[in-house]
Formats: sequence, C-alpha cells, structure tokens
Amino acid sequence: MSESAYSIKESIMQLPRNIKASISRRGEGTAEQERAAAVFGNMFLHVHPVRVHVNSLRAGYTFGLGLISFYLFLILVASGLLLMFYYTPSTELAYRNMKDLEYVVTFGVILRNVHRWSAHAMVAFVFLHMCRVFYTGSYKAPREFNWVIGVFLLLVTLFLSFTGYLLPWDQLAFWAVTVGSNIASYMPVLGDYVRFLMLGGNEVGQMALLRFYVLHVVALPLLAATLLGVHFWRIRKDGGLSRPSND
Amino acid sequence: MQAAKKEEIFPKDPNKTYSLMAIVDGDSFQVEKGPEDTVQSWPHLMVRELGLFLLVLAVILGVSLLFNAPLEEAANPQHSTNPAKAPWYFVGIQELVSYSALLGGIVTPALIVVSLLLLPYLDRNPKGTGVWFSRDRRVATILFTIFVVAMVILILIGQFLRGPNWHLYLPWSN
Repeated sequence: MSESAYSIKESIMQLPRNIKASISRRGEGTAEQERAAAVFGNMFLHVHPVRVHVNSLRAGYTFGLGLISFYLFLILVASGLLLMFYYTPSTELAYRNMKDLEYVVTFGVILRNVHRWSAHAMVAFVFLHMCRVFYTGSYKAPREFNWVIGVFLLLVTLFLSFTGYLLPWDQLAFWAVTVGSNIASYMPVLGDYVRFLMLGGNEVGQMALLRFYVLHVVALPLLAATLLGVHFWRIRKDGGLSRPSND
Repeated sequence: MQAAKKEEIFPKDPNKTYSLMAIVDGDSFQVEKGPEDTVQSWPHLMVRELGLFLLVLAVILGVSLLFNAPLEEAANPQHSTNPAKAPWYFVGIQELVSYSALLGGIVTPALIVVSLLLLPYLDRNPKGTGVWFSRDRRVATILFTIFVVAMVILILIGQFLRGPNWHLYLPWSN
C-alpha cells in the first residue's frame, strides 16, 4: 500500500469500510464462507455450529421450548436490572417501592408485569422443555450429563422464582414464603437449622428479605448463567440436538 | 446462479466423448444441502431464532399490557391469610404436606429430584431416541406421563380446590 493510502483524506473516505472491517475482523469471501463466518466470527453466535441438521430446525420436534426458556431468562435479566433501580430490600420500603412502581414510575407497572409474567412462564416452559427432552428420549447417551445440568437448571429456576416471590413484601409474598420455608423445616433433625439458614431467623423478616434479595439478584442469576453456558456448550459437544439414528 | 455465465466455463475437450450440452437455471437437489442433511446456521437457524425471540417478547408485552401482576396489602406478620398458599409450582408439594409433612414435604420432593438425576444412568437403552413417544419406550413414556399428570392434578387441587384451613371447596363457592 502506498503512503497516500494513509493520508487523512483517504482515511476519512474509507472510514465506514474500515470500521466495519475492524468489527467483523474479516474480508470478503464466497457466499458460503460469509455465512459460515457470520456464525463463528461472532462472539454471541459462536455457540452455534456453522451448519445444523435439518431435524434441529423442525418446529414440531423441539417446539422451541428450551430457546423460549432462555429468551424468558434474558427478558427477566433485562427487566430485573431495571427493577433494581427502584427497589430497596427493606421491610419498611419494599412495599412502598411496589406502589411507586404502580403509580409514580413511568411504565413501572408494565416493567413489573413483564418481570412477573416472564418468571411464571419460565417455570412452566423449563418444565415443558424437560417433558420434550424426556418424551423424545434425548437424555440417552451421550447426553446424560446435559440432562443432569438441566435438572439443576430447573431447580435454580424454581429457587429464582421463589426468592423473587418474597420481594414485593405484600401479604401474598409473606405468607407464601412462610408456607414454603416451613416445608423445609419438616426435614428430620436438620429441618429447623435449614430454615434458620434460609431465613436468617426463625421467621420471615428483614434478614430473610435481604437474603432472598441477594440470592435473587446476584447468586442465583450467576449460577443460572453459568449452568446455561455449560448446558449450551454440551449440546455442541454431544453432537447437536438429538435425532433419529437412521437418518 | 453463478454457473450460468456467458463465457464457456466447460471448454470442449477433444479427448472426451461427452460435452456439456446446456446449463439449466435453477436449484439442484444439492444446493444448500450438505451430505448429512445439514444447512447453514446463518440464515436458516438464526432467522428462526430471532423470529421466536420477537414472538416471545411480543406475547410477554401483550400479556403485561392486559393483566397486572397481583399485589395485595402490605405484609403483616400478625395477620395470616387463610389459606396461606405457596407459589403455584410448590402448591402440589403443599398439598402433599397436608397429607404427611415428612413424606409429602421432604421424602417425595427428594425422591423426585434424585430419580430425575439418575434417570439417564438407569434408562440407557438407546432405542427410540429422537422420536416423540417412541413405541420402543412405551413403559418410560407411561411412567413419566403418570408423574406429570399427578403433579398437575396436585397443583390444580392445591391452587383451586383448597379454601380456608385447607378444606376442600369449590372455586365458585364463597
């Protein structure tokens, strides 16, 4: 390349092309190469293989249930992050924050509704996804361990939903969590200790609210995101989605 | 199609007894199709994934515009609601607890989780993989369906048929 190619004028002329090339890190190729690079050259898409089996695309095979669960998780992370700006995990303020969301914050009601309904939907869709995997026998070798990770993801989803249930600090939340945590105390010998550890006391109060809040916004989402990463990675490593053997 | 260019891309070879007679415009059976029945993820998979995301987002937004999330009075530890119900996904367990605290609240949930974790190591016959309700897996299908139906029935009873003091009542009676 000649010196003139580095002149300011040339640089400005080439600005759009150079910015695009610096982001995509690749030159032009054949159509096939471009399509392949669109997948493996993209951080967010590279969990996908460059080519997929047509059976994986059959809507009637997966019904997209796992993907829907993941999308609901993304919607929950985004709406939950916004809700955190308006929420204080204090028994004095939590309920007032709810009322503010309802009457003061612009689109606050919608934000809370999105988070609430997505959470219920996620529990349901994770369960439906498990049913799909069972009825298609997709937990068979070599996918046994991914099923195990899936069971843990189901449990994490339930705990995420349960910890979030307390946060509005209304009668529904308070007594549902009281009932739920009482179930843990029926465990022989350890029961009362487990409930004390869960609630930070013998009954649902400020300590329980703070514990549930920290679990709900930090610990469990991180655990869920990590397990999701492993879950998706294992799909690739185990040879993609299951399909009939004689294809 | 790129192959249909004007210039002669397959020059006639005098040593061969055949020659290219014509180039027909159109897709062959092998276009966009790999030897193992695969297609490019971009665009075939990605477009579907994006479409599904937009659908999920639209449905959630639609439901959120129509229905408000429940919010009752502020929590009052002195005054319990009657009945006090767990979130719907735990109401089935709560229903079991009303029969036996230890068996329903601890043993059954623990058994369910342990069986789910061990399932792929106990049911190892690869027959019927990749097919919905395969005939080769009839017993497994029936057992799992009993489990699912039992869970759903317990949740429905707990959620809709249990009134004050956890007595049976009908949803339309006050």
